[in-house]
Amino acid sequence: MRLRPAPVAAVAAIAVLAVAVPILPLDNPTRMEIAHRFAAPSAAHWLGQDEYGRDVLTRLLWGARVSLSVAAASAGIACVLGILLGLVGGFLRGIVEVLTVRSMDVVLCFPPLLLALLVVTLLGPGAGTLIPVLAVLYLPGFVRVVYAGVLTVRSQDYVEAVRALGAGPVRIMGRTILPNIAGPVLVQFSLAAASAVVLESGLSFLGLGVVPPAPSWGLMIGAARATMTQSPLLLLWPCAALTLTILAMNALCDALRDAVDPHGVPARRRGAVRLPALLPGLVPTRGPALEVRNLTVAIDTPAGVIHPVRDVSLAVGAGETLAIVGESGSGKSLTGLAVLGLLPPIARVVQGAAWVEGQEVLRLPEPARRKLRGGAIAMIFQDPLSSLNPVHRIGDQIHEALLAHARRGGERLRQRVVALLTRVGIPDPAARARAYPHELSGGMRQRAMIAMAIANDPRVLIADEPTTALDVTIQAQVLTLLGDLRRERGMGVVFITHSLPVVAEIADRVAVMYAGEIVEQGPAATVFAKPLHPYTSALLASAPHEDGSLPDGIPGIVPLPHELPPGCAFAPRCRHRIPDCDAQRPALVETGEGHTSRCLRWREFA
Amino acid sequence: MPWLLKRIGTALILIWIVATIVFLAIRLVPGDPAELLLSQGGVAPDPAAVAELHEQLGLDRPFIVQYGDNLRRLAQGDLGRSLQDDSPVVTEIARRLPRTLELIAAAALFAIVTGIPAGMLAALRRGGWLDWLALANSSLALSVPVFVTGTLLVLVFAQWLHWVPAGGYVPLARDPIAHLTLLTMPALAIGLGLSATVFRMTRAAVLDVAQRDYVRTARAKGVHPTRILARHVLRNALMPVVTVLALHLGSLLGGTVLVEYVFNYPGLSGLLVEAVNARDYPTVQAVVLVISVLFVALNLAVDLLYAALDPRVRHA
Repeated sequence: MRLRPAPVAAVAAIAVLAVAVPILPLDNPTRMEIAHRFAAPSAAHWLGQDEYGRDVLTRLLWGARVSLSVAAASAGIACVLGILLGLVGGFLRGIVEVLTVRSMDVVLCFPPLLLALLVVTLLGPGAGTLIPVLAVLYLPGFVRVVYAGVLTVRSQDYVEAVRALGAGPVRIMGRTILPNIAGPVLVQFSLAAASAVVLESGLSFLGLGVVPPAPSWGLMIGAARATMTQSPLLLLWPCAALTLTILAMNALCDALRDAVDPHGVPARRRGAVRLPALLPGLVPTRGPALEVRNLTVAIDTPAGVIHPVRDVSLAVGAGETLAIVGESGSGKSLTGLAVLGLLPPIARVVQGAAWVEGQEVLRLPEPARRKLRGGAIAMIFQDPLSSLNPVHRIGDQIHEALLAHARRGGERLRQRVVALLTRVGIPDPAARARAYPHELSGGMRQRAMIAMAIANDPRVLIADEPTTALDVTIQAQVLTLLGDLRRERGMGVVFITHSLPVVAEIADRVAVMYAGEIVEQGPAATVFAKPLHPYTSALLASAPHEDGSLPDGIPGIVPLPHELPPGCAFAPRCRHRIPDCDAQRPALVETGEGHTSRCLRWREFA
Repeated sequence: MPWLLKRIGTALILIWIVATIVFLAIRLVPGDPAELLLSQGGVAPDPAAVAELHEQLGLDRPFIVQYGDNLRRLAQGDLGRSLQDDSPVVTEIARRLPRTLELIAAAALFAIVTGIPAGMLAALRRGGWLDWLALANSSLALSVPVFVTGTLLVLVFAQWLHWVPAGGYVPLARDPIAHLTLLTMPALAIGLGLSATVFRMTRAAVLDVAQRDYVRTARAKGVHPTRILARHVLRNALMPVVTVLALHLGSLLGGTVLVEYVFNYPGLSGLLVEAVNARDYPTVQAVVLVISVLFVALNLAVDLLYAALDPRVRHA
């Protein structure tokens, strides 16, 4: 847990001042000098004197003491009670849960300041009333945080293990649960304390909180209001003290929250880096619908720049299917996203070129690229549920794809939507067009995604694991649909997958990726029959066998992008490793007609 | 719509619980409530007055009868009579509630009009100087309590610059210009902090939604960025913003106390503070009840709005 030091220091400084007030060489905060009413700042009274001639600095510091002790006491009481109630409620469940946790909702149906006022009416103002009232207000927050924490922790294996070892509930709570919820409780405490300072000052300002002559910032502001024209400073000092204290406490809350939950902390993002211009004479090969040459993608991480896609070259012809195969993290999805210009903000293309029907796309300005996306080149994603907008109807989302590339809208586009849904095999298409994504099955959703992708007759379709989220029968149907569409429309299809059976079924050519590089590429039949890279062989061997015998796993793990070995990336896991493999990165060599391998020893496998 | 019925049922139960708590509150306090209400500065109250108050509050009857009677009267819209002038509390509430609602509405309008565009802009320019400036600004705005903002507004714009009166209220029908002028400063005092909250929520929500898969899909379709922002990002990002804004507006129902006091604005909260100071318990009870009912109703309205924004909720 890393905590920003500045807010901690600021709050600590204020707290130390508040604690040390009685031993500081200060005036009595209630001693009046009527003769020196409204005296300007002087050597004896640094911030001047108030309407009774009391020293303003002394009163400010004592006010901090009052504010912070009310805040600490109320947040502290709420914290202790909240932890107890939350633990008991979360651990025992049932009726106890209703009494301890659900009952808190009642407190939440009163606006906080209102509840405080109600109690003050009954019990009279003063710090003694204020602390319990504020504690009650903050109690639900603590109970909820602790309760939620208990629910998550109690189901975890190690808690079950401790319980199985015979530990009693009290011990389990103390040993396993409390340390796990400490972070959120701390955040809650800082929130409650900051809010208590605000409420205390507000109530005191109204004369319903701290009772005069005790010093309080709220009271000081209230009193100085009457004389604000003649001595605005008297008003400004406590306003500044209050605001700065709350500012420091809020900053501490944010810092604590970021430290406990680093999820929200944004990653550093580099400005746009322009790709170097294409070398003159670098032209696409004639023919393919999509050609990618030497594509390299970089990501800036705290540990340095990594290259999750390195030197990737591939081509897919019209009506052809190229499968990119690899484990997760091999860079296959990023390759697809890079071609479309949909890389996440932290990633960027640093080298290479890509041509769609002969036009270089990586260097196109964004508006022109946008025209290509969903037009000449389209993409289907893995999870159709999260890839469809939950708040818009299916038909509207397909219509939008048409509209983005149409010269004008109108009824014709609406009819196209129904026609597209019919084409992808969705029954009752007119009704389904009005459905929301969550109302369709997974298979139907992916068909709708496909309809969206083929809406403008793309020349290239990139399908990123389109069947992974579907069950097997639906998978087969979707694969058949994609195959039919490819033949019918002559699209080039790039099919990204980790499933070899799927590749065998649909691919004309296959590119095998490992740790960001293509290690072998060739006609699917040849690569399957006679793999020329040990990783391909290992991948084939690790696929489930038809006879049900256990496949051979690949020993070791994929190297992390910033810990790549200097030589062949696969060498540490390779059975055929020789010293040369670690010396330098092997080049991709042509091994036969349209077949390449990145292995030094490919000849031995041929 | 069974979902809607269930939600309304929960709201009614909550209102019943609130009414019960408010009823119990006065009777659970140790000592005789009538004596407690009448005693001022430790002087024992006149026994005759105590007896009279007992009768007026119905404290001499059996507890359960009092409770039933209380609920029956509430259901008929009878909120009791003020201890100060024996007038029906409901009349005074009906007079003041619209003023407070107007104040809250004006503050909310300011917060929405400034906070949402600023939040979007900051999210789109994340990490830029504009984002940094807006974030710093919102930190400050969130740290100044409303009564401090209000008092400083009075100091600067009323006392020093003499642009506006320090406070007060003029009915709209009598003088629309003066009415709006007087509304501006209290609305601004509340609206500044609220705007900072809305800004932060919007910024966070837009950043979150912008990296969702469906936004990537929209980009993959070649949809124009402005349209993506309006149709895909904003629509989804507004949901958490609406929720948080409504929660804040709800707490403002009782939270305008301070601002109404600073600007001498005769709203519902002012009535509450007066009643608290005068120990006029029936009035306090009635105001608290009305505000809580509004609070519950507001939460119900938010849920309905949520359902309108998100089709998934309707089927949950």
